Amino acid sequence: MARSGSPVRLVVALSVAAALAVFLLYVSVAGGTPSIQPSQLKGRSGEVALVGKVTGRPSGDPHTAQGYRFRLRDVEGSTSVPVVYRGSVPDLFKVGREVRVEGRLRSGVFVAKRDTLRTKCPSKYTPAKRA
Amino acid sequence: MTTVALVVGGLLAVASVLYVALPFLREPAPSEDRLDEPGTLERRALELAEERDRALGALKELEFDHRTGKISDDDYRELVGPLRRRVAEALRALEPRAESNEERVRA
Amino acid sequence: MPELGRAALVLCLGLALYALTAGAYAAKTRRRRLARSAQNALLAAFGAAMVAAVVLLAALLRHDFSFVYVAEHTSLELPTPYKISAFWGGQEGSLLLWLMILTGFSAAAVAFGRRSGADLLAWVVPVLGLVTTFFAFMLVAVSSPFDTQVAPADGAGLNPSLQNPYMMIHPPFLYLGFVGLTIPFAFAMGALLARRADELWIVTTRRWTLFAWTALGIGQLLGAHWAYVEVGWGGYYAWDPVENAALMPWLAATAFLHSVMIQEKRGMLKVWNMLLVILAFCLALFGTFLTRSGIVSSIHSFTQSPLGPWFLGFICLVTAGSLALVFSRLTLLRARTRMESLVSREATFLYNNLLLVALCLTILWGVVFPILSDAVRGEQITVSAPYYNFFLRIFGLPLLLLMGIGPLVAWRRASLRSLGRSFAWPAAIGLLTGGVLLALGAGSSRAGLVAYTFSAFVLGSIGYEFVRGARARRALAGGSWLNALSELIARNRRRYGGYIVHASIVLLAIGVVGSSVYQTVREARLEPGQSMTVAGNRLVFRGYESRRGPNHLAIRANVDVYRGGDYLGRYRPGKNRYFAEDQVSNEVSIRRDWLTGGDLFLIADGINDRSLDLKALVKPLVNLIWISGFIFLAGALVTLWPSAAEQRRLAARYRELRPLVRA
Repeated sequence: MARSGSPVRLVVALSVAAALAVFLLYVSVAGGTPSIQPSQLKGRSGEVALVGKVTGRPSGDPHTAQGYRFRLRDVEGSTSVPVVYRGSVPDLFKVGREVRVEGRLRSGVFVAKRDTLRTKCPSKYTPAKRA
Repeated sequence: MTTVALVVGGLLAVASVLYVALPFLREPAPSEDRLDEPGTLERRALELAEERDRALGALKELEFDHRTGKISDDDYRELVGPLRRRVAEALRALEPRAESNEERVRA
Repeated sequence: MPELGRAALVLCLGLALYALTAGAYAAKTRRRRLARSAQNALLAAFGAAMVAAVVLLAALLRHDFSFVYVAEHTSLELPTPYKISAFWGGQEGSLLLWLMILTGFSAAAVAFGRRSGADLLAWVVPVLGLVTTFFAFMLVAVSSPFDTQVAPADGAGLNPSLQNPYMMIHPPFLYLGFVGLTIPFAFAMGALLARRADELWIVTTRRWTLFAWTALGIGQLLGAHWAYVEVGWGGYYAWDPVENAALMPWLAATAFLHSVMIQEKRGMLKVWNMLLVILAFCLALFGTFLTRSGIVSSIHSFTQSPLGPWFLGFICLVTAGSLALVFSRLTLLRARTRMESLVSREATFLYNNLLLVALCLTILWGVVFPILSDAVRGEQITVSAPYYNFFLRIFGLPLLLLMGIGPLVAWRRASLRSLGRSFAWPAAIGLLTGGVLLALGAGSSRAGLVAYTFSAFVLGSIGYEFVRGARARRALAGGSWLNALSELIARNRRRYGGYIVHASIVLLAIGVVGSSVYQTVREARLEPGQSMTVAGNRLVFRGYESRRGPNHLAIRANVDVYRGGDYLGRYRPGKNRYFAEDQVSNEVSIRRDWLTGGDLFLIADGINDRSLDLKALVKPLVNLIWISGFIFLAGALVTLWPSAAEQRRLAARYRELRPLVRA
């Protein structure tokens, strides 16, 4: 096996190619979730991650069928959208805090996916907390 | 507070400068100021020494693997010969250097 | 006092710059005294950094709120241990900790490296000087812990979530790891700059790399445990960019640790090793850049932190510079030996390397994907757990298997015959375990079953190695089994220490698999007296209790746990509300079953007037994860332990050649 074109190089090349193929296949199939702000929501019907600041007066109960209702607005802007959420609410959640929640827009209301609410940590150094 | 800070800071700076200048203060006029660097001969010798250690290590490991049963008797017989030869070659490659250098010094 | 701190940092910067410039000049023009002087500068830089650190620590302990940093991160009523941990709780302080460890390690590396290879050390010094200059510059000009203000009456205090013992140990361990990787990097670059094709740099830094890698591993485990018991969402790893920031260099360092062994034994893969050490170090820098700049959570955070662009620039400089250096020395690094067989220990090490690097790069891709997609498509697209878990399985499962195959295969070449014999027992153990587990219902997760089967195989192969080795030892020297075992380990520390570490990783894998794919989760809203069942445990809600603490109100839900007919105890999940900070913290309740190694994890998700929204998780085998940490540490200590015989041999190798050339 000790030819000048050593088997090591062949093994490496094939492995890299195989890994790349698997990788590209997965990423194109599974995709990812776009992170957008409320002002960018218009017209989008697919699943997205909505990032924004909590505004208005949250009401309701996240552990019931009716869900927890609050509004999210642009981090630097005023466009806001109503959100309905069911699942765990992180401890750091409060009005004025930046949060991220996954879901999709349905008839003007952002219907969130269960248990996907996350808060951005206010301090710029400590790592983000999660629900 | 600030006077203490000034004094400590000053001392620190002076101490650092002194420490950095120390090699020059100790030897203001040395006979040679050259940084030792392995020459071609020494590099080659180093290479051979590493090769020798590698061969010795491989032999040791072969023995160990054989004793613990990882390598069968047949495999051992097949591999030990070439390895021993490799070790012998590596040891031989290092020796003549010593001899030829001694000759040069004596001459 | 802040002036002293600032002055000390400026002095440190100056010394580092001198070490960089004078050191490089001395190495290039081969001046002995100047090289020595540059070394001394690095040592003095450590002194200066220490002075700055002491100043900050004193200010923290004295609650000197004229320091902006002290006012931002402590308060009068903060307990003393957290005043100390506030040192690294914020941006500037943590940078100072980094600098302190960096200069400390550099000083140690220089002091111990003086024994051999003066020409190598001469080039290592400017590389260390470069890295130190960067961090000192950041502290002096961009992000200083010594900014002052008119002292307020009291400080802002520490975020309650950071007020726990983990804050004392988790960041320092991680930093020891991150910074520790600088040393092998510096020696590798030094070797290239000095045009040395030999193994001196590897031999000198082997223990450094091991130490950094161990610290990084333990640090991550501590972080995971912190997340598990304190943050309390029921998990321990969320594939958060900040978590990945520590995992990536650790994976690269793992690959490096293994491939360096190939270079030692066979003289191959020199270029690969250079690339790996560069990757590990750059990922460590990248990791801290991610954590500090906030670039990944939101592109807007980039402008909030002035550090971001500087870090990015430095990382690009280091990456480009070191790659250029490797490229220019390629002829030096050409190997003379070839890999003889695809079925040899070298080959398994190579496969292990490829898998580790592939996993590392896919994680890196996942982390930077949002940034790239934002630049290309104008919006951030994030990937999350499904992406990472997919690749963890694809690369992790073969890695697990390889851990079992590696020890059974000999170096150079293994005949299929002897391979078959070696494999018999471990394979049998693996398959038997797999069969039993399948019968017990583990087939609910294919990946889980495969992982368990592989784990049994690996443990079997490791056990087999110990048995074979002890048996051979006894045959040679007699004595009891215990004697033979300890002699075996003592005489072959690297090999058997490595096996112990592998065993710990397998236990980690078993714990992770059990607590993720085989966990049960149930949620319910319970009125007092109502119950829910999760995996055979009946949980009855009995009502709330509240208690007022010094700075918080603690609300606890009383939950009685029954299994079968037995009463297992009362558990109290709940929440704390902190008055001053107006924050709520989750306080989970965990029932540890030491017999099965699993946990019953209770979260009071929603506290209502009368009812409780209870979330309960049953996580089998999760405690194996924490136990594996101890075994990991033990194994690492065994491999790190100095061996007098090895020291003698290496000293002889690098010094005996001197007399040969004194002509």
